[in-house]
Amino acid sequence: MAKVQQGNGLQSGVSKSLRGTTESLADQESNSFGSDNEVNGFAKTESQTDKYGFIGGAQQHTGESADDVPPEVLRQREVKWLEMLNSWDKWIAKRHKKVKLRCQKGIPPSLRGRAWLYLSGGKVKREQNQGKFQELDSQAGDPKWLDVIEKDLHRQFPFHEMFVARGGHGQQDLYRVLKAYTLHRPEEGYCQAQAPIAAVLLMHMPAEDAFWCLVQICEKYLPGYYSAGLEAIQLDGEILFALLKRVSPAAHRHLKKHKIDPILYMTEWFMCAFSRTLPWASVLRVWDMFLCEGVKIIFRVGLVLLKCMLGSQEKLKTCQGQYETMERLRAVEPQYMQEGFLIHEIIELPVTERDIEKEHHAQLRRWKETRGELHCKSPPRMHGARAIMEAEPPSRRDLQQNPTIIVESPPATRSDEGIQDETDKGRTRRTKTEKSKEKRKSGSTEVLTNPYAPPSDPQPPPHDAPLLKDTPLQGSNQSLSSAEQDTYL
Amino acid sequence: MGSDEAYNFVFKVVLIGESGVGKSNLLSRFTKNEFNHDSRTTIGVEFSTRTVQLRGLTIKAQIWDTAGLERYRAITSAYYRGAVGALLVYDISKHLTYESAERWLKELYDHADPHIVVMLVGNKTDLASVRAVPTEDAKDFAEKNGLLFMETSALESTNVEAAFNNVLEEIHKKVSSKEVTRGSINAVSLSNPKSQSEESQEEKKPCCKNL
Repeated sequence: MAKVQQGNGLQSGVSKSLRGTTESLADQESNSFGSDNEVNGFAKTESQTDKYGFIGGAQQHTGESADDVPPEVLRQREVKWLEMLNSWDKWIAKRHKKVKLRCQKGIPPSLRGRAWLYLSGGKVKREQNQGKFQELDSQAGDPKWLDVIEKDLHRQFPFHEMFVARGGHGQQDLYRVLKAYTLHRPEEGYCQAQAPIAAVLLMHMPAEDAFWCLVQICEKYLPGYYSAGLEAIQLDGEILFALLKRVSPAAHRHLKKHKIDPILYMTEWFMCAFSRTLPWASVLRVWDMFLCEGVKIIFRVGLVLLKCMLGSQEKLKTCQGQYETMERLRAVEPQYMQEGFLIHEIIELPVTERDIEKEHHAQLRRWKETRGELHCKSPPRMHGARAIMEAEPPSRRDLQQNPTIIVESPPATRSDEGIQDETDKGRTRRTKTEKSKEKRKSGSTEVLTNPYAPPSDPQPPPHDAPLLKDTPLQGSNQSLSSAEQDTYL
Repeated sequence: MGSDEAYNFVFKVVLIGESGVGKSNLLSRFTKNEFNHDSRTTIGVEFSTRTVQLRGLTIKAQIWDTAGLERYRAITSAYYRGAVGALLVYDISKHLTYESAERWLKELYDHADPHIVVMLVGNKTDLASVRAVPTEDAKDFAEKNGLLFMETSALESTNVEAAFNNVLEEIHKKVSSKEVTRGSINAVSLSNPKSQSEESQEEKKPCCKNL
């Protein structure tokens, strides 16, 4: 199912600099995957692409790092998620615990993009600012930022099939989203760590949705992380370090003894929300929880990794010295990042919002004493989906799922749960109904694949599916999906 | 390049310069003989080591690679601590990256050891056809500021070894001479691998000894 969709690398309007000229040299020289995969914008063969769209093992996504969810469980979860999405405000307000639990269990891949959009409040922002993204998208942008953004386009997840092609659709969308952000917040501009965040979002949703999710992450979840001076990340480094004292005194003592400033090891972890650190299955699970519960999840991941890597005298014996410790922290042993293990540890770690807020105040006071006032006044941090929704209550209309592809169902067999899905940057969406044999009227000419296929490959073909009655498109050979998004899920 | 091999010195060297000039590829070329045209942007810090032989001595070079974007400068000072050498890198095909060398230099001297050995490195000589920074200009600038100077291509593997080795040699010269006062350059360690404990790299026990 993870089909290679590259092929539009030549239609680039984005990357028109000198880089192309050095390409051939790089290919001769390089012993890496990246360079030769991108020739003419075509990625290599299908067999090398994993179920997440990564080519050749670049993000430690070996089989053992991921837990497999049986298809029937996935189907059930999808139904539950569709129900939640249909009355999202009620679920968040009244049954938040359940939503949290379901995020902890992992959002079904087929709905992950939509769930993230709802959890983050990006959906509400998008509805309340209709046309805004298109407006920003059509503007030119400040050359100062565009130059840096362009330099970074081919340096985000270069082993992911969506981003492997120079000027391919993934890189183009990344450019649009990042540029739009600099226009949306000209005083903030662009910070490099925003690119991996945007790229992860783009793997799951169209550019406009990814833009609003990015806005929410930058302004609600991690305010100030990407602002000039990087004060917020430094402050969180101190908070992390203070929390570590309680979680793992041995690790805390060791880092202190070797004068290892938190920013030396946590900058990339936190600024990229671990998207460049963990195996992919774990990244997705962490993000599911992060977007539901907020930054405490990021703190917990950091604390778990520090505890696992530096938590015992025995382990510390082998990493005496600053450099050795840094090396250890950069090469976290795979067993500690394995999906099942890591998620369990995160959930179990007793570090609450209140702990973080308390430590925040303490560290802020210390900061002011030693370094004076913060230069950059960031908005207050929101701890997750509920806080965001409470701060700006949406109207029903804002939460309404409004598909752009309407699949007409025969009146008699109207589904009792109008399952909808939205996909695709081409603004094609769809409504799904009970009958998979229905004819679909779609304005889209794309080749569309099954959005409900489970993430692991061999997917049972159309007909053997009593399980699948809730997910009618399952197995339909003309099922609808975005070529770009859903196939990776 | 394990930490338990025998060596006489450990030198910490930092790579600085604007985003996209090729710092990470200089690092990977020198330490792993790799070049990746699509290497990820550096966020925070990357590092790698290589052990080299210089005049009969075994020197372990710890190379720290930092993010080049202006915004990260707020946090890069932590990377400079203990550094005894620096490669200030610019892209010979992008004049702006050269123009910022002065700023980087100031940044470096503000945060690093005053005796730090600095080399100005014009990278990407493979792009000579679109050269924007004349060699002579850069050479003059380096001389005026007391910097070593070299042009390299991480892509074609030109002068990369030479640049790093040159810097390491200069560091060694400084360490061996009396120019470096006790404790001034503190990441240098006179090794004795068996007892290579944390003290040997810390300020507590200045270790810039002559051999």
